[in-house]
Amino acid sequence: MDIKDITEDKLNMFIDEQLDNDEMEFIRNRLLEDKVLREQVCQLKAVRELVGYAYSDVPQSRAASESKRGSRFFLSRAVAATVILMVGVIVGWLSYEFNPLSNSGITADNTFQYIANYANVDHKERRIILHIDSSDIKVVDTALNEANQLLASYRAANTPMKLEVVTNKSAINILRPDISPYIKQIQTLIDDHDVEVYACERSIMKAHKKEGVEIVLLPGVRTDKTARELIPERLERGWVYIRA
Amino acid sequence: MNIVKNFVASFTLKSEFAARRNKLYRIAYSWCHDVSLADDLVQETIYKAIKNAEKLRDRTTIDTWMYRILFNCWQDYLRVKGRNIDFIDTEDDSQAGLEENYQQSQIVKRVRAAIEQLPLPLREVVTLADFAGFSYAQIAEITEVPIGTVMSRLFRARKNLKQHLLDFGSDDISELKLRRIK
Repeated sequence: MDIKDITEDKLNMFIDEQLDNDEMEFIRNRLLEDKVLREQVCQLKAVRELVGYAYSDVPQSRAASESKRGSRFFLSRAVAATVILMVGVIVGWLSYEFNPLSNSGITADNTFQYIANYANVDHKERRIILHIDSSDIKVVDTALNEANQLLASYRAANTPMKLEVVTNKSAINILRPDISPYIKQIQTLIDDHDVEVYACERSIMKAHKKEGVEIVLLPGVRTDKTARELIPERLERGWVYIRA
Repeated sequence: MNIVKNFVASFTLKSEFAARRNKLYRIAYSWCHDVSLADDLVQETIYKAIKNAEKLRDRTTIDTWMYRILFNCWQDYLRVKGRNIDFIDTEDDSQAGLEENYQQSQIVKRVRAAIEQLPLPLREVVTLADFAGFSYAQIAEITEVPIGTVMSRLFRARKNLKQHLLDFGSDDISELKLRRIK
């Protein structure tokens, strides 16, 4: 495969993972060097994501509206919030460039994360919000690794970075000293790396109601906002959003 | 004993059909933008699926099989009504309330409008790929066209959508964000 073979059709097949391994690898390597190509891929992915989100919340069918009348409003809000996040990611990629210090490959399914992670070394402060909404061990491990990698890469590049970790739903459990296996790691993020860690106020209230006990969290964890308030607020200020 | 076994198998299959109702409805809505029509298409699909359940030999292909039935119901409808029908986006009242709180839903509207202006074959393919998440081969099976046609339609659809949604640039997105702050 040659550079001139990378047509728009090939890029479409690339984002859909419909090329063979060699071709996928060739394009991945080209993306590391070619900013224009990278932007093309991001745009195609953005279109794909937007189509997906456009119908995540549609007017309910007659059958469904009879049984789920009550839950519609919250579902709609959740989807709208997701769209806000999408917009933030799209806007976010426009202000980032490739980091020449990195030689890691990118995967086809995480271009947005890639753009966020491999920011250009221009010594301007990077502001990243990492969202965890599950206590699944794989998700949490990935998220914490991501957080540590981000901190390490920016420190190595001598680029200031502000990182915030927002947890909601079952992910607030990773901040509970009585049940979480991640306490040490998270406490280090808070104490040694000035990472602001939030537990969604609404999720805490729900957990309290469900379990009937006081939800005790690590010292330093902020609980004064809901994820739904915080994430759009950060995006409006130009933060880059990464979902674990 | 066989009767019980068949009854259980039939019941399980019916449950599987019903479990897919919501997803089928969404994709039908993405094609027609009409609540009642999408509902009717899905009802018809599930009815036909139950009626022809014995033709589903491999349970792992149930999704492709059901979407193919839905697609055929949609094509039947278009044959009767003609392919140049006017689409009405029948948003309900709660959607209006949502927009007051989240101006970003304008983006959803914009994306839907951009999809709506696509020729039908392009719209069908792009929603099957980007919303329902089917592979090129599965879409070829659902829509009964060669895989090359699927690819060509999908790429043309995305190119068109990119022009409508992204080439207006970040200014437009920023404008939406600012409107939300007010």
